[in-house]
Amino acid sequence: MVRLPYTTALTTLFSYGLLFAFGQLRDFFRKFVDWFKAKNVKGYAPICLGLEDFYVRRLYLRIQDCFGRPIASAPDSWFDVVERTSNDNNKTLQRTSNTTKCLNLGSYNYLGFAAADEYCTPRVIDSLKKYSASTCSVRVDGGTTKLHTELEELTARFVGKPAAILFGMGYVTNSAIIPCLIGKGGLIISDSLNHNSIVNGARGSGATVRVFQHNSPAHLEEVLREQIAGGQPRTHRPWKKIIVIVEGIYSMEGELCKLPEIIAVCKKYKAYTYLDEAHSIGAVGQSGRGVCELLGVDPADVDIMMGTFTKSFGSCGGYIAASKEIIKHLKHSCPAHLYATSMSPPAVQQVISAIKVILGEDGSSRGAQKLARIRENGNFFRSELKKMGFEVLGDNDSPVMPIMLYNPAKIPAFSRECLRQKVAVVTVAFPATPLLLARARICISASHTREDLMKALDVISRVGDLVGIKYFPAEPPKIAEAGHDKLE
Amino acid sequence: MAKLYVQAFPPADLNKNTEWFMYPGVWTTYIIIVFFSWLLVLSVFGCTPGTAWTVVNLFHFAITYHFFHWKKGTPFADDQGMYNTLTWWEQMDNGKQLTRNRKFLIVVPVVLYLIALHTTDYQQPMLFLNTLAVSVLVVAKLPNMHKVRIFGINAES
Repeated sequence: MVRLPYTTALTTLFSYGLLFAFGQLRDFFRKFVDWFKAKNVKGYAPICLGLEDFYVRRLYLRIQDCFGRPIASAPDSWFDVVERTSNDNNKTLQRTSNTTKCLNLGSYNYLGFAAADEYCTPRVIDSLKKYSASTCSVRVDGGTTKLHTELEELTARFVGKPAAILFGMGYVTNSAIIPCLIGKGGLIISDSLNHNSIVNGARGSGATVRVFQHNSPAHLEEVLREQIAGGQPRTHRPWKKIIVIVEGIYSMEGELCKLPEIIAVCKKYKAYTYLDEAHSIGAVGQSGRGVCELLGVDPADVDIMMGTFTKSFGSCGGYIAASKEIIKHLKHSCPAHLYATSMSPPAVQQVISAIKVILGEDGSSRGAQKLARIRENGNFFRSELKKMGFEVLGDNDSPVMPIMLYNPAKIPAFSRECLRQKVAVVTVAFPATPLLLARARICISASHTREDLMKALDVISRVGDLVGIKYFPAEPPKIAEAGHDKLE
Repeated sequence: MAKLYVQAFPPADLNKNTEWFMYPGVWTTYIIIVFFSWLLVLSVFGCTPGTAWTVVNLFHFAITYHFFHWKKGTPFADDQGMYNTLTWWEQMDNGKQLTRNRKFLIVVPVVLYLIALHTTDYQQPMLFLNTLAVSVLVVAKLPNMHKVRIFGINAES
């Protein structure tokens, strides 16, 4: 749920309509210009429709300097952003050798493991010497080392499940294993804002896919009742199995899943649950175990838990944690396990070291300090932004906080002006978000200091005034302080 | 002046091509664009208000018929062609008929038609042109016409 001024909604839709109209007009005349260059080989269908890249050609390229900015250092709290130039209005961009040191508010560096770490980095270097950079092999061939086995056991223990399986790529963890869990005759009920990897995995499974309104247990129950009563399409036989797929933290919203309510609905109708903790594992919860720990849900109540190592742990790949039977089935049938190169041994060691730091098994309390700091940093930043009058999505304790921009012209304005002031932010727009709801997504890290956050708040406040994205009145100064001054 | 705030909920529609029509402000923007088009035609051509309404109605017919009922597919490769045989109208609301948005889009050409007729005092040839435009648009939007291709027109791919 997003609140926005009605005039902003009207101007945003008008802006997109105008951009669309001009794009269509240019495409219309481009047809005539290209008419005489017809290169179609007779009798062959076009490989792709021109319609399918309209968005990229006519909208994205105009402001592509605000996306995909290359960096030249590790994504710590401060990093080097490579400067780029264009001499054809952003159609192509050339990198320069200049860099700008910017405050990093864009990386998923939740616990600060993206840069060198005193505990993790020496062990990673040792494993690099011992095991080499890659196994160049699949898990079932020569790609399993002691590190892989150790990490699977450690991951299962960390999330509270009997067994776990590793994959070398976070995206593939969803897109390749959902077809292994459910097929034709099954029903997948997916949250409307689930990640594209889940969407593609659901499509690839062959099961029927239904969508429930984002984070709405009431609508989920409605969809479940309707689908169970109706049965399979055309034959109306009972579904073979039903899986409800949700995410722990929605990366575009910063919002926590309403997991207890959703689990209750799934138990009531005997549907399986699949929880994607790509962003929440390691970042939320008292000891970093994710939304189950934060929201008081027993991990045994969630049938399949998925997560990635690419965010809080500063590595790559993902995992599935579930019962021993499910993991055994995946190890025998999942193409990401049977055919894909296994996770790089130094990357595995990085995750092992990071989890040990989080659990305190490195002999210090740095893990607990990191978790406390990211929670404090996130809640402080969110409350300050809201006081200034920004519309900030997401829940408390979430390290992701989107700032709503809405108008398409404000996306490049905010991004470029913040970069000019040495603050690197990530802007997100249609089609990654709905048309009306463009935003800048701030990701807080445990490596940010209070001074870093104060500087970021100052820059964002000034740029917000300049660009006009403070849609709510700012909170007045505290009356207690005023009263205190009067007393003195 | 007090600001009017509205709430936007993410709809349970994964089709990016039709999802935008479910957010607050779409109906108002639609009506405002039609009204400003009328003002534009009035000022550019310097004709009578009735003729301007007729021009707006015919332009509205041409544009909405092309984009809602003729053009198929979505401008996103991510959809992998699953909507390539569907028009925008058939993709809308996941194919569910008689929703509020569909009713709005049926009412708009009818109201435009009534305004155009009334302001042209029911004179020919505006009467014929307006009636033809509104008939085609309303028939194309009826629930019975869902995925129907008369004589295979626009049925390829």
